[in-house]
Amino acid sequence: MGEQISRLMDGELDDVALDLAVGQLKRPEGMDAWVCYHVIGDTLRGAHPVAPGFSRRFAARLAAEPTVLAPRVAPNRPVTRVWAAAAGMAAVALVGWVAFTTMQPDLKGIAIADRSVPYRPGLKPSVVPVDYLAVHHEYAPTSQIQGIGPYLQPATAIAPDARQ
Amino acid sequence: MARTGTRDETAGAGPRRRRPFAPLAALVLALVLGASPALAQEAASWLARAADAARTLNYVGTIVYEHGGRKEKSRLVHRNEGGAESEKLVNLDGPAREVIRSHTEVFCYYPDNKLLRVEPRTFRNAFPALTAQQQKALAEHYTVRRADNERVAGLDAQAWVFEPKDRYRYRQTFWVDVATGLLLKARIENERHEAVEQFEFTDLAIGQGIEREMVRPTWTGTPRGWQRQELTPGTIENKDTGWEVARLPPGFAKTGEGMRLLHGKSEPVAHLVYSDGLVTVSVFVEHASSAPRAFGRAQIGGVNIFVRQVDDNVITVLGEAPGATVRQIANTVVRR
Repeated sequence: MGEQISRLMDGELDDVALDLAVGQLKRPEGMDAWVCYHVIGDTLRGAHPVAPGFSRRFAARLAAEPTVLAPRVAPNRPVTRVWAAAAGMAAVALVGWVAFTTMQPDLKGIAIADRSVPYRPGLKPSVVPVDYLAVHHEYAPTSQIQGIGPYLQPATAIAPDARQ
Repeated sequence: MARTGTRDETAGAGPRRRRPFAPLAALVLALVLGASPALAQEAASWLARAADAARTLNYVGTIVYEHGGRKEKSRLVHRNEGGAESEKLVNLDGPAREVIRSHTEVFCYYPDNKLLRVEPRTFRNAFPALTAQQQKALAEHYTVRRADNERVAGLDAQAWVFEPKDRYRYRQTFWVDVATGLLLKARIENERHEAVEQFEFTDLAIGQGIEREMVRPTWTGTPRGWQRQELTPGTIENKDTGWEVARLPPGFAKTGEGMRLLHGKSEPVAHLVYSDGLVTVSVFVEHASSAPRAFGRAQIGGVNIFVRQVDDNVITVLGEAPGATVRQIANTVVRR
């Protein structure tokens, strides 16, 4: 599920997968993943710096926590609380793991992506210089075996380009 | 056009998950499919024969070209007289267009625009004998398969299927005339097996005498009142361009790089060529001052195009690969 949502955020899904991912978002855990991933993404990009002294206070709080070797059985504790705590742990583990694996590729990739063009149609083929296409065909093996094949391409592509 | 989202693309907002077992899986796959390179080589030699046949034979036929749900019909005449080639292509529907190809030049006539475009004809070895490494690359990223013979334009055709093993490439099928080696039909399909481009002879006569008149242009010289547009030969100086693709899709390797002087441009354009053994993707980088002002993506049949700007440079990437592949290459073009 997480992967679909992650890809949705990156705008990488095709129409079929998009429906699937949107369906997942309607479920609470799907929405949680969506929010969680955005927090991670924002933090990695430094959009929301954590409060000053966070690391120091976190370390102090962690040190102050008693080390529980054998958790006391609490039969009267509502089951939901246990699950909530477990889910919290899992979330921390997930965040830590995801953040770690995300850090693996160099941040250059993310910087590049931030300036990338959204994947949307709309560019008219005619604005692509014809000489680019002609030069490319010279290198394309498949166009060579079709002989005059590349010239079969639609008139829009071959028509005088926008600069003329 | 399907937007083929692929997991390994440039990082965006979402967190990544790595697949540590991918290299292992690829290795296992390569071992299981150990017999494929030989088949890939055989398919490649059929295609090399097709490229040769397209140049050396005399033939006349009707071609139906399909792309984006449209069909265009053209008449093609090809003549080879003592090694000198000439060819005439006239479209039979849509806006009138005529393409005359000699052994040195290509003349494109657009009567409705009153335009004659002249470009040099360049030769390049299509499917030269593949190196062992290329055979391996081809077999690693495509399952090459010999399909059942089929009749195309009344001729017995051998079909070769290049089935991609991932979503970075299209599925390609070639139908080759068993008797002469001429390519009779070619089809490019997306991952849903929908045709993105198809070319097919619907009738074809091979090996008959072709008179010179049959390949003559309708017009002589540049017709009065027409604009004549000459494309420069686009000479390329092979050298380091200072650009590279940081995250190439799997299986693609650089096959060419240089600075190219193109029509209407004062400064040379960086041109890098990448191939997976079957298709190629071209990367052009030029200074923004001389580039057209449009960004985004476009598709012409099986060719996807992606244009973006990085600082003062416009990056144009195009090739016979799915949009996601072209986009990934475009998005990771960086200075070396």
